[in-house]
Amino acid sequence: MKKYMIKRLLLLIPILFGITFLSFAMMRVAGSDAVLQRVDASGVMLSEEVIQEQREELGLDKPFLVQYGNWLVRFLQGDLGESYISGNDVFDEFVSKLPATLLLTLTSILLTVVISIPLGILSAVKQNRFTDYLIRVCSFIGNSLPNFFVALVLMYVFAIRLGAFPVISENLSIESAALPTLTLAIAMSAKYLRQVRAAVLEELSKPYVVGAKARGIRFSVTLWKSVLRASFVTIFTLLAMSIGSLLGGTAIVESIFMWDGVGKLAVDAINMRDYPMIQAYVVWMALIYVVVNLITDLSYCFLDPRIRLGGEKV
Amino acid sequence: MSEKTASVTVRRQIVRKDHTKGKMIFFGVLVLLLLLMTIFAEYICPYDPNQQNLDQALQSPGFAHPFGTDRYGRDMLSRVIIGSQTSIFSALVLVAIITVVGTVIGMICGYAGGVIDSVVMRISDICLAFPGLVFALAIAAILNGGVQNAVIALAAISWPKYSRIARSQTLSVKNTEYIAAARLAGSGSFGIVVRHVLPNIVGSILVTAMLDIGTMMMEIAGLSFLGLGAQPPTAEWGSMMSGGRSMLQTYPWVVLTPGLAIFISVVLFNLLGDTIRDYMDPRNSRRG
Amino acid sequence: MKKRWISLILAFSLFAAAISGCAKESADSETENGQETSQEEDSQGKKTFVFGDTTFNAENGEPDLNPHRDNSGWACMRYGVGETLFKFSDAMEIEPWLAKSYENVDELTWTVTLQDDVYFTSGRHMDGEAVKECLEALVENHERARGDLSISEITAEGQTVTIKTEVPVPALMNYLADPYGIIIDMEAGVTEDGNVSATGPYKAVSVETDKGVELVKNEDYWNGEPKIDEITVKTISDGDTLTMALQSGEIDAAYGMPYASYPLFENDGYTFSSCATSRVFFGAMNYKSEITSDPAVREAIILGIDKESFVETLLDGNGYPAVGVYPDSFTFGGDAVTEDSYDPEKAKQVLEEAGWVDTDGDGIREKDGKDLNLRWLTYPSRQEQPLLAESAQSTLKDIGINVEINNTADHNSIRTDTDAWDIYVSAIVTAPTGDPEYFFTYCCLDSSTQNVGYYHSDKLEELAAQMAQTFDTEKRGELAVQMQQTILDDNAYVFCSHLRMSMIAKASVTGLVAHPCDYYEITVDLDIAE
Repeated sequence: MKKYMIKRLLLLIPILFGITFLSFAMMRVAGSDAVLQRVDASGVMLSEEVIQEQREELGLDKPFLVQYGNWLVRFLQGDLGESYISGNDVFDEFVSKLPATLLLTLTSILLTVVISIPLGILSAVKQNRFTDYLIRVCSFIGNSLPNFFVALVLMYVFAIRLGAFPVISENLSIESAALPTLTLAIAMSAKYLRQVRAAVLEELSKPYVVGAKARGIRFSVTLWKSVLRASFVTIFTLLAMSIGSLLGGTAIVESIFMWDGVGKLAVDAINMRDYPMIQAYVVWMALIYVVVNLITDLSYCFLDPRIRLGGEKV
Repeated sequence: MSEKTASVTVRRQIVRKDHTKGKMIFFGVLVLLLLLMTIFAEYICPYDPNQQNLDQALQSPGFAHPFGTDRYGRDMLSRVIIGSQTSIFSALVLVAIITVVGTVIGMICGYAGGVIDSVVMRISDICLAFPGLVFALAIAAILNGGVQNAVIALAAISWPKYSRIARSQTLSVKNTEYIAAARLAGSGSFGIVVRHVLPNIVGSILVTAMLDIGTMMMEIAGLSFLGLGAQPPTAEWGSMMSGGRSMLQTYPWVVLTPGLAIFISVVLFNLLGDTIRDYMDPRNSRRG
Repeated sequence: MKKRWISLILAFSLFAAAISGCAKESADSETENGQETSQEEDSQGKKTFVFGDTTFNAENGEPDLNPHRDNSGWACMRYGVGETLFKFSDAMEIEPWLAKSYENVDELTWTVTLQDDVYFTSGRHMDGEAVKECLEALVENHERARGDLSISEITAEGQTVTIKTEVPVPALMNYLADPYGIIIDMEAGVTEDGNVSATGPYKAVSVETDKGVELVKNEDYWNGEPKIDEITVKTISDGDTLTMALQSGEIDAAYGMPYASYPLFENDGYTFSSCATSRVFFGAMNYKSEITSDPAVREAIILGIDKESFVETLLDGNGYPAVGVYPDSFTFGGDAVTEDSYDPEKAKQVLEEAGWVDTDGDGIREKDGKDLNLRWLTYPSRQEQPLLAESAQSTLKDIGINVEINNTADHNSIRTDTDAWDIYVSAIVTAPTGDPEYFFTYCCLDSSTQNVGYYHSDKLEELAAQMAQTFDTEKRGELAVQMQQTILDDNAYVFCSHLRMSMIAKASVTGLVAHPCDYYEITVDLDIAE
């Protein structure tokens, strides 16, 4: 077990190399650079000399591999450099956005679980009855609406019509987290409750459920003890991926609710070709997925003891 | 409630197959109608969907234009009908590619385990962790714009989701008694995967895939600012929705009409997916 | 098995507690600050004003208030913190501000006389020495200013400053009115978060990149009495959020509202202040392309774009159809030049005569077997551009030109490849300092960096050389008219519309007036009724 974990964590090193190099290369392929993008955003034109001067200042005039090498050397010393756009320390700026992202991830995952698991089970148990159809239709609505639409409608209803929440969120309070959480949870719950439904249905038709019934075990006991446990493998896999992508931020929701998370930071950085900031984001994403997927794989063993990982004895 | 429901459920399974078949045909016909509408969109449109008529801009829904007009004075109904061609086909192709590729990779990893599993799953980690926007930018620069390139960009970053689901399910099926029995009976790995693993995991894959249709329509639209996706005047539901975003309060039909179209197609494909899942359920056929 | 479960749950709850713990902590500390200020306002009955703005962010080059950095001077000036030696009149001519007057001693020497009783918010008197220090720091830190000003030496004596330039800079005083020329106290310096000590009606007490600025009244303002006690400027990057924040009353005024939201505020509860700016939406023809190097095609494009309808319907009147480079408010702008207006029949005739005929009946003209395909490159970050592209696509199709739109954020790299496009439509501010030379220097000459379509005209080069030596403002204006007419006669560019900048405020707000230069927003006149 320990050996397996250490081995997986060691794999982080090649993944980090791969992913940072890849993103560096792809941003190069994408063309343009921070200096040009900045000129563009402001609409104020600069002479060729000024543009060259600014490029030299940022080291953009150097060959690609040299730039990556310089970045890597600094990275290995624990220095993520300064943003090309704001000039601030990348690490500080990135970390300052993390609490918002972590909070929103936590609240929206919790709300999603609270909504989707009971409704999914209900939908499965009442298969093809009115309740089932009602829940399914709600989930289709949640699934076909884009995030920005849900966000704007929620904001309109709750902030303007009812005046229950402010439009502008000032800081990380439960009050300002409510609407973005709801926006994300609606979309995710729509997906999850269908997965829960499918997984529970799958289990319900297995012989052991019938057997348990025959042995006189109460259905609710079977449901909670066996059926749900078995369904958890799928749900857990999906949850892990959702957590991963939520920790990467959600630019649209963040920008509508002025939620100061990493998603908008990343999209802005990419649009402005702010290489050091993009690299920081990529490193963060790699860390998340390596850790989250490791936890998921380990949890398979907890959820279903028959599963063995990587050919190792766990 | 519980005991009664359980017995009902069990009893119902015996007769379910006939019901399921009927329902599958019903939803199948509806989806077929949707696809036919898509194919013959040009002939169904009441107006030329690309004809601008600025005098008629932003008319609210009424007799002449049942779903109103957009800001160029084009008929919304006609735009939604013609937009189905881009939206439905690109979303279907995209979902089909990522489902098949992802599932196959996931099953191989889950079943084979060992080095293959480790390597492929770490590649999928990279794909999941890699910001999609960076990738899309690069694709836009190399391959230029267009819907097909948007599909390529999204496919390249979306498959790991399916491979992870398929892998997790394969892992839990792999160690069951009947797989062991099949192995003892001399079935080859490939045969076991196809005959015993696939039918057991197809349910959740199918459900995920159908749900992804709506999401992917919006994802394709989300890349349009990079020139990936449909370029004007081509109508496409996702872009119609996001383009009308600021008009939600003032001219809501501009946003709601394509939204309704996405909703209807999501519902149809999902209900069809559900019934196909029920029909293909191996336990159903065992009983039926 | 049970133990595993318990440990798993424990680990998770610990993780959750850690996250919520740290999030709460930062939330608590911030809430405290927030509550303090709002309570203060309530108890002391201070006048407050909240301004929602889309532009104050690092992407826009406005990370803070330091005028010596990028475009931060814009924020410094817009929010009433800093002032320049000269300011622009409504006709974009320079007027004295922190300076009383100037004298152009010779081609390379200027003397500027300063107002007597101006003090920085640091308490320091603004004298010649202070201005010299500030301008020296400016040219040292700001590349664009260094290039514009070409300063070789500055000397100060009492309230006069003498500036010597390396080459003749006829528009020197205009350049000093650019927001980068805001005079700040260099002894007080620039704080860590980018705050400065300047001379405006308000001073900043906190500056947060991408989030906003907190301002308080400058009690010792030299030019009148500021009426608001505390101002909060909030960066709201999403247009729909900005809309709803004004609807809910959380902000008192907004800059950068999407046009589609305007109808919501066209009632008694709100006031609009709008004016034409020199930001122009225009297309540059590619002279290296087979299609647009044909003069007939260029002429037909200009005749085939319906600017009036584009502005009236698609922008809902929020713009001005453009004739030339500058809007009406400039003495050398608007109708000072002439250009063909929308005339599809004439366009068809021009194409017909040049041999572009539709022979295969598909509605698109061809010549020598080649379809008349126009590749229209533009980008989506300005809401007008996709609208213009799609509208032109329709009207040009009517005259037999097929427009292929490439609307992409990636335009910067594509436009350098002259094989990839025929017309490049972008938006630029053509006269940021009220002087006409800027546009031609950057866009139309052989030496221009932004001459993306490789346009060349001997006549224009000659006129430009003349302008570089002309100091008289009126003569410069005349030259600007001739130069505009030259590029219009060549049909090298199509100028579609000028941006109409609007600020929307609650009806109780007064003194918030839009200005053609787009630099002045919060001024000493701003007031809000209780």
